[in-house]
Amino acid sequence: MAALYRHGWCGATGLVVPLLTLVSPGFLKLDGVGPAWGLLWLLPWALVDGPVSGAGAGLALGLVLDGLHLGPVSELPALVFLGWWWGRVGRRGPQIERSFSLGLLALLGSLVLGGTMLAQFAWLGEAGRPQLHTLLSQTLITALLAPMLCSLQLLLWRQQTAGLRG
Amino acid sequence: MPFGRSFRVTQLRSLGSLWPWLLVLLALVGVRLSKGAGFADAYALMTRPFWPGSAQGEWVRSAQQLGDQARLSQLEVDNQRLRHLLQLERGDSAFEGAAVISREPGGWWQQLLIGKGSLNGVGVGDPVLAPGGLLGRVASVTPTTSKVQLLTDGGSRLGVWLPRIRRHGLLTGVGTPRPLLRFLEKDPGARPGDVVVTSPASTLVPANLTVGVIQSVDDRAVPATEAVVQLSAPVQAVDWVQVRKGAR
Repeated sequence: MAALYRHGWCGATGLVVPLLTLVSPGFLKLDGVGPAWGLLWLLPWALVDGPVSGAGAGLALGLVLDGLHLGPVSELPALVFLGWWWGRVGRRGPQIERSFSLGLLALLGSLVLGGTMLAQFAWLGEAGRPQLHTLLSQTLITALLAPMLCSLQLLLWRQQTAGLRG
Repeated sequence: MPFGRSFRVTQLRSLGSLWPWLLVLLALVGVRLSKGAGFADAYALMTRPFWPGSAQGEWVRSAQQLGDQARLSQLEVDNQRLRHLLQLERGDSAFEGAAVISREPGGWWQQLLIGKGSLNGVGVGDPVLAPGGLLGRVASVTPTTSKVQLLTDGGSRLGVWLPRIRRHGLLTGVGTPRPLLRFLEKDPGARPGDVVVTSPASTLVPANLTVGVIQSVDDRAVPATEAVVQLSAPVQAVDWVQVRKGAR
């Protein structure tokens, strides 16, 4: 079933995630906080390519993004979990197509990611209102961008897998 | 008799015609007694368009700035020599200019990515400066880039000094644009507006670098007084920074 990961160029599009994280475009920020670019790429990938490929992509993204950030707090566990979960949603349920569904999945995913980060910051004794503000802002902006960006990617990946099966 | 009477009348008449001159004389006496009132004021009013204007003020100010700069550089050299004698600082530190290639002042981490790395001699812990003061310290390096932990980051801790009240404090990043200054004792006498500089005893960062200005003080904080500090270096606007290599 999983087919996208076999094509190098499909996986290479994931390089856009660290690039956008570093560029951090100011016009796509909500109160100084940018979206979780990793989630916006991972969601359509996992929905089309399944839980194993999704978890693998989450692992790869998590390793790269953790390398770009300060400190010991990691995005990796949440990204692996979300890749696996979204892969299952894509495989087991009815096909996800509607913008609202994509936005809702991105919102829940961003809450999970932010929640794990907040828990790690709390464990380090650094959690407070600024971190809660980051969680809420990032969740909102990610969920707002998801219908627009994820539906285009979903279309592209479905075209690719349809071509591969055909 | 008639002659004498007519003479007196003529005298009185001539005196009567002199009264305007007497008034002028009285006015002049008034001017004398009031040290030139009226005359000086009229002169000031008439010459106001020709008074030394802003151009001359700027001229004087630029001369003063030049003098201050020369004095400052002389004091810096002197200070460095003395610190070197006290072995607080190694003598082989140098500045390296670097471009800011990624900026993340908000969000989970507060960091910059600059375009100079280990190939240029930048090392972990090197202080990073911008116009206005200290920005942060290098947290990690790659061959051509360095990641800078800003003073606002939640993991940032820096010993600072308040010259006015001669007290030390610990500048702690909390993830907001304004870090928290934690004092070592209760009620140290800090006030909003006090300048915060790097500790003169520091061996991690250059001494006496401007960090910011105290914005508000909370004397009721537990266990000791806390203050909110507005940083002087504008993180959002800085495109180039200076890394002080080998300052540790």
